[in-house]
Amino acid sequence: MTKAVRERPRGAALARRVAGHVVRGLVMIWVVATISFVIIREIPGDPVQGMYESLLQKGMSPDQAERATAVLYGFLPTGSLWDQYVGYMGSLLHLDLGRSLSTPGVKVTSLIGSAAQWTVLPVLAGTLLSFLLGVTMGVYAAIKRSGKLGDLLALSGSLLHGIPVYVIGLLLVAIFTTLWPILPSGGPVDVAFVPGFNPGYIGSLIHHAVLPVVTYTLASYGGWILAMKSNVVAVLGDDFILAAELRGLKRGIVFRYLARNAILPLFTILALSIGMLFGGSIFIEEIFNYPGLGLLLVNSISTRDYALMGGTFLVITVGIVVANIVADLLYTAIDPRVRSGEAS
Amino acid sequence: MSRDSAAPEVRIRDLTVVYNTPAGELPAVSHVSLTLTPGTITGVVGESGSGKSTLALSLLNAVQPPGRIAEGSVEIDGLGDVLRLDGEDLRRTRGRKVGYVFQAAQNSLNPLKTIGKQLLDLGRSHDVEDLRALVADAKALLSRMGLDGARVLDSHQHELSGGMRQRVGIMLALVLNAQVVVLDEPTTALDMITQATILRIIREVHEERALTTLVITHDVGAVAEVADDLAVMYGGRVVEHGPIAEVLGAPRHPYTQGLIRAIPRLSGDISLARALPGRPPTLGTLPAAGCVFRERCEKRMEICETVEPATATYDGRSVACHAAGRPAPVKRREYA
Repeated sequence: MTKAVRERPRGAALARRVAGHVVRGLVMIWVVATISFVIIREIPGDPVQGMYESLLQKGMSPDQAERATAVLYGFLPTGSLWDQYVGYMGSLLHLDLGRSLSTPGVKVTSLIGSAAQWTVLPVLAGTLLSFLLGVTMGVYAAIKRSGKLGDLLALSGSLLHGIPVYVIGLLLVAIFTTLWPILPSGGPVDVAFVPGFNPGYIGSLIHHAVLPVVTYTLASYGGWILAMKSNVVAVLGDDFILAAELRGLKRGIVFRYLARNAILPLFTILALSIGMLFGGSIFIEEIFNYPGLGLLLVNSISTRDYALMGGTFLVITVGIVVANIVADLLYTAIDPRVRSGEAS
Repeated sequence: MSRDSAAPEVRIRDLTVVYNTPAGELPAVSHVSLTLTPGTITGVVGESGSGKSTLALSLLNAVQPPGRIAEGSVEIDGLGDVLRLDGEDLRRTRGRKVGYVFQAAQNSLNPLKTIGKQLLDLGRSHDVEDLRALVADAKALLSRMGLDGARVLDSHQHELSGGMRQRVGIMLALVLNAQVVVLDEPTTALDMITQATILRIIREVHEERALTTLVITHDVGAVAEVADDLAVMYGGRVVEHGPIAEVLGAPRHPYTQGLIRAIPRLSGDISLARALPGRPPTLGTLPAAGCVFRERCEKRMEICETVEPATATYDGRSVACHAAGRPAPVKRREYA
């Protein structure tokens, strides 16, 4: 029964943990890359072969056609599947995702690079905003849960949680660009302004970002408020909160005990949801014609731009894997029970 | 470790605590009067639902909703009626004047903070100016209880065993030099050896610091180890109260007698232990009039149906039973 106080592991254990995550993440990325390679190769009507053959029909020599296709897809259209796979992995290691078909000759990596900025910032802003808002409201909803305000807050959470994100987006578009036209309906920025660090351009950027960010915020706010409310209610019932009150701790300190314990599980979800939103941004970017990763993916699918499709998938995967690692490290940093590697 | 002030007396008078239930407000504690003699340990025993934890919480005016203190007073020397305190006055009383060792003290600590940081939170909440001295006091108390103080203060809850957590709970209740200490089920869920250690510590610290201590438990054996006085609760009433040797040695209330008969002995035939017949009452099944124990009582009389027995004193001990005053032999009912 009486066990000695454990030594808390320090740097070495942390490094081991990070290394483990990185290795697992790399394996996951490799698996996704392999799957997307196989799918693109094995899809009915083999796009790579089709490309190769259409180039042949256009009068290219087999050699030329092979090279052109290899440049586009990052792997060879002829040769065994294994050879092609090795070639594809080889170029991946050099961070070469091939070239786009729909925007001929442009590298997939540069397309993704320019699209990423339009996804990362709004997603980050929207997620953090909805997290702060949802968590704060969740605490109120829990504390006032027997009153009208609490009911109202919980109801707002359930409602927003239940409405699909594209409905929220379309409603916002209808309200703020048609009924009451105060915000631009689409695009990332007004083309009238010269790109750069000038007030007009920045203002236009922000103006255009309002609706997408608000949509991201509303879309995940419901989940946060509901999760936080139930966490706070659960922690309120924990013995240590009553014990803290019976020890005469100041209200502010008891509140901090409560909030910190209730918010802890949400940090993991936060990091994960930032990762997931890179993929989930499809609807929102489509609605607001926002040139981010989601729109890039949609366009690559509709134009059968397989190199771009595979590349975008891969980047979204990397985003999610990184978010997973960050989530776990975050948890390690804030929960002493995880830090010392014990589950209880 | 101040011994300058004498232990305070605690006078609970006519305390009634009701719980709001779908069936209306039902009393969990009903007109309880109990005096804790300064410098003594009073044990309170009773079955689950007898109102003993509610009684303990009342001492800090901390009955949790849907419960409510309906009437009565809890006077503590130097504090006045605790039930009249509220807001900051009440908060300052808790922890500083009246220490409380929580039921299931296993879970009475914030899992995310080290014990030391929680100690500092306690000190800051009570405006302790010399936090270093507070830490030194805490270490002294912990080592007094057989723990490595510095190490415990640097630990999180999950790094401590059940017995260690319980001792930390006791340390936090005592470190601000509270003169009245309430321990709610201090040894429940601990193994026998740890139980014995905790009880010894309670007794020793109590004597060292000249405290007035209330120990709530359902374990008559545990309370017999430490208490000077014993109060037996049943159905929200104190049915018998007096010096522990007398209450346990020559119980007068039929419920106390039944409780003692129900204790299995380490030596001897286990079948000698008799379970009390029937079940403990719940808030909803308590009879509205008459004696609350009559359903399970072997000395039941006609008057028990209608009149609630008043508390009477018999050789230094108070008993609430119509039959207690009649020394005449009562025929034993046999139970299978």
